Amino acid sequence: MKFIPDKDILLFKSCLVNVEYPGIESSTSYIFDRIDVEYYIDERQSCCTGLGHYYDLFDQLSTTALAARNFQIAAETGHKNIAVMCATCYAILKKSAKILNQNEEARNKVNKILDDSNLEKMEYNTNDMDPVKNIFHVAEIFFNKRDKISSLVKVDLSGFRVATHHACHYCKVHYNDTIEGVRDPNLIDSLAAAVGVETIGWYDHKRVTCGAGFRQRFTNKEVSLAITAEKLQVLKENEVEILLHMCPNCQMQFDRYQPYIEKKLETEFNIFHLNISQFIALALGADPYKVLGIQTHTVPIEPLLKRLKQQFNIEDQKENVKVEKSLKN
Amino acid sequence: MKTIKLQDNSLKLVKDVLKDLKASPDLGIYKCVQCGMCTSVCPGASQTEYDPRDMIRRVLEDDETVIDDEDIWNCFSCYTCNSICPSGNNASEINQILRQMSIDKGEGIQKIVSFAAYGDSFMELGVGSIPNTFFDVMVKDVGPEYMNLKLNIEDIRADLGLGSYILPEEAINEVESILDNSGFKNRLKRIKRCKK
Repeated sequence: MKFIPDKDILLFKSCLVNVEYPGIESSTSYIFDRIDVEYYIDERQSCCTGLGHYYDLFDQLSTTALAARNFQIAAETGHKNIAVMCATCYAILKKSAKILNQNEEARNKVNKILDDSNLEKMEYNTNDMDPVKNIFHVAEIFFNKRDKISSLVKVDLSGFRVATHHACHYCKVHYNDTIEGVRDPNLIDSLAAAVGVETIGWYDHKRVTCGAGFRQRFTNKEVSLAITAEKLQVLKENEVEILLHMCPNCQMQFDRYQPYIEKKLETEFNIFHLNISQFIALALGADPYKVLGIQTHTVPIEPLLKRLKQQFNIEDQKENVKVEKSLKN
Repeated sequence: MKTIKLQDNSLKLVKDVLKDLKASPDLGIYKCVQCGMCTSVCPGASQTEYDPRDMIRRVLEDDETVIDDEDIWNCFSCYTCNSICPSGNNASEINQILRQMSIDKGEGIQKIVSFAAYGDSFMELGVGSIPNTFFDVMVKDVGPEYMNLKLNIEDIRADLGLGSYILPEEAINEVESILDNSGFKNRLKRIKRCKK
C-alpha cells in the first residue's frame, strides 16, 4: 500500500466542482478540518485542462506546461502533495508528472515555454513532482484517516440502500496506483463503511463508465445517455437509493440527466446522487446548505433529509427555504 | 520457399504512434494478441461501430485509413480497455493519438470545432467549463434551475464559504502567456477558422 500524506497538501480546485457542485469543496474542507489534515488552497492554481484535453481540443504539451506551473505553485508554498476532488484532474496531473520526469525532450520544451513566458522561476526539474508519492484523490486521504472519521460520526445513515460509482479516471488510467481495487473497486465502499453504512458492494455494471464520455454527452447524446440509463436501470433493480460519486463529471451525468432519462424512458429511478465528501460531511453533522451545497443539485436531496430522523434545527430550515426560493426565482 | 518481406516502412504508423508525446513509455501495442477484451468491455463498441481491437490491428498493419475512420470519435476515454488489457496495451491512449493525427491532417478539426469555446474561456478565466455552445441544450435538458444555478453561482459559493473561482489577473496573464508560447493559441485560431 502506498504512503498517503496528511499534511503539506494543496487541495486542487476543479472546474466542475467550482461551478456545478461547489459543495464538494466545502464538504472536503469540512472533513479535512476535523480529521487533522493540513491543506492549502491557492487562488493562482489554474484548471488542469481535463475537459479540453478529452475534447481533443488541448494538445499534450500545453496541458503539461500548465501542470508544471501548478506543480511549482504547490512546491513553492510548501504543499507539494496534491489532493484532487475530480478523477480527471488525477489522471491528467499524474500523466503530466510522468512526462516531465521521463521525457527529457518534453521537459526541455516545457521549460523553454516557461522561460519565454518570463516564468523562469517555475522551471521544472526531474522528480520535482512524484506522480505516485505526491498526487492523490481526496478519497485516498479520507481512506488513510478512516478511523478518525468513524470516531466523529453524528448522523446515522445506515437506513439507506447505498451503491458506489467509482470514477474511471481514478481507477483505470494509472491502475497500478489505484487503492482498494480496479476491476472490483471498493474505495468509496470502504469510506461508506467508515461512517457506518454497508453498501450493496458489487453489482452488475459497477465498473462501467457514467457515460459522459466528454464529447459524447454533447455530440452523441443518445449514445451517452443510453450508457447512463443502463447503469441506472441496474441500480434500480438493486433498489438503490443513494449512489455515491468521486468525480464531479460523473455526478453531473447522473444527477443532471436522471430526470431527463426518467422522462424519456417513462420510468422512475428516484436515486439521490452525492459525492463521497458530501456523504461523509453529512454523517459528521454538516449543514446540507451551508456545507454540502445540496442547493446546486438537480435531483432534490430534501426527501433524503426528511427521512433522516435527525435534527437539522429550525433556524436552518428557515434559511433553507430562503435559499430554495432564491434559486427558484 | 516463399518468404514475405517486410517493407522498411511497414510499421510507420505504429512508430509514429509510439513517438507521440501522449504515448506512455510502456505502451504495449506490439504485445497485442488481438484477444478482443478491449472491445468486449468498451461502452463505445456496445452502442456504435467503434471497435478498439480492430483499430489496434489497423495501426499494427500500417493502415492509415484508420485515422480518417469516423468511428474512432466514439471512444468514451473511460480507459476500461486499458484496465483490462492482458498485454499492457492502452487502446484509449492510442485512440487519442489517432484523433490528434486526424486533427493535424485537418479533417478532425470539424469534430472539435464546437468545443473551441472551452479554449476561449480557459484563456479568459484560467479555468475550463462546459463550452457555452452547449449551454442552451443543457438548460433545455436539465431545466431552468440550471440557468439559475449559473447566474447565482458566486453567491452560492459565498454561502458555502468559498471565494471566487476565477483566477487573479496576474495568474490569468501567466496562463495566457504559457498557452501563447506552447502554441495552443495558434492551434485554437486554426480550429476556429474551420467554423462553418
